[in-house]
Amino acid sequence: MGLFGNLFKGPQVDMAKSDANRKKMRVLFNQVVENGGDYKILFGYTEDVSRFNYGIVHGSKTKIGNLIVGWNEASQTIVVIPTVPDLSGCGDATFYRQSDILKAYQNKFPTDEFIIYPDRKGYIGIGVCEWLEDEKLYVYVSQDEEVKAFTDFFLKQFQKK
Amino acid sequence: MSWGQIGAVLAVLVIVFVAGNLWFHFVEAIFCQLKKWCFKNKKPTAWHTLPPEQELEGNEDG
Repeated sequence: MGLFGNLFKGPQVDMAKSDANRKKMRVLFNQVVENGGDYKILFGYTEDVSRFNYGIVHGSKTKIGNLIVGWNEASQTIVVIPTVPDLSGCGDATFYRQSDILKAYQNKFPTDEFIIYPDRKGYIGIGVCEWLEDEKLYVYVSQDEEVKAFTDFFLKQFQKK
Repeated sequence: MSWGQIGAVLAVLVIVFVAGNLWFHFVEAIFCQLKKWCFKNKKPTAWHTLPPEQELEGNEDG
């Protein structure tokens, strides 16, 4: 039973690794964002799918970008910081204030993402997931509660059409 | 179909696969060099590294 139980249970989250990465995310976030402690954070990702046609070879390429996403309910602001799966560093923060953006909504098809249009020129699509096993591509973190809280905040307070 | 013919078909498929891969990486490398050349004056984006003590702590934990 034990052996078969483990086989059917599927992959399990390494909570020690997940907690260590959660701490690293917080350190990076607070390093880049002023009063970072006022924000809740979670891991998000972007998927950039592009088609190519090189004559005899054609197909599509997907680029994955890792993000630390922070949100502040009081100021109704979402902060996005690019990072890498091993959390060795991060880029500069981009702020999206609900009052300043053009629109924001949850997209269900073709991908489940939170879309934010800061203006007419461009947009960002943020994917969130409770846990992604592939730590070469994504930050290894288990975040069920954070995903629920972010979805709730986005749909009830941040969404703009 | 004889074993020899099956082998020949498989060999052709392998050659097509390898040639396609080589062609893809060749074109990608050219585009990469062109991008580097076109954007060589572009200012690199800021990057903040994780403080070393935090990195060590993280490795010990996991």
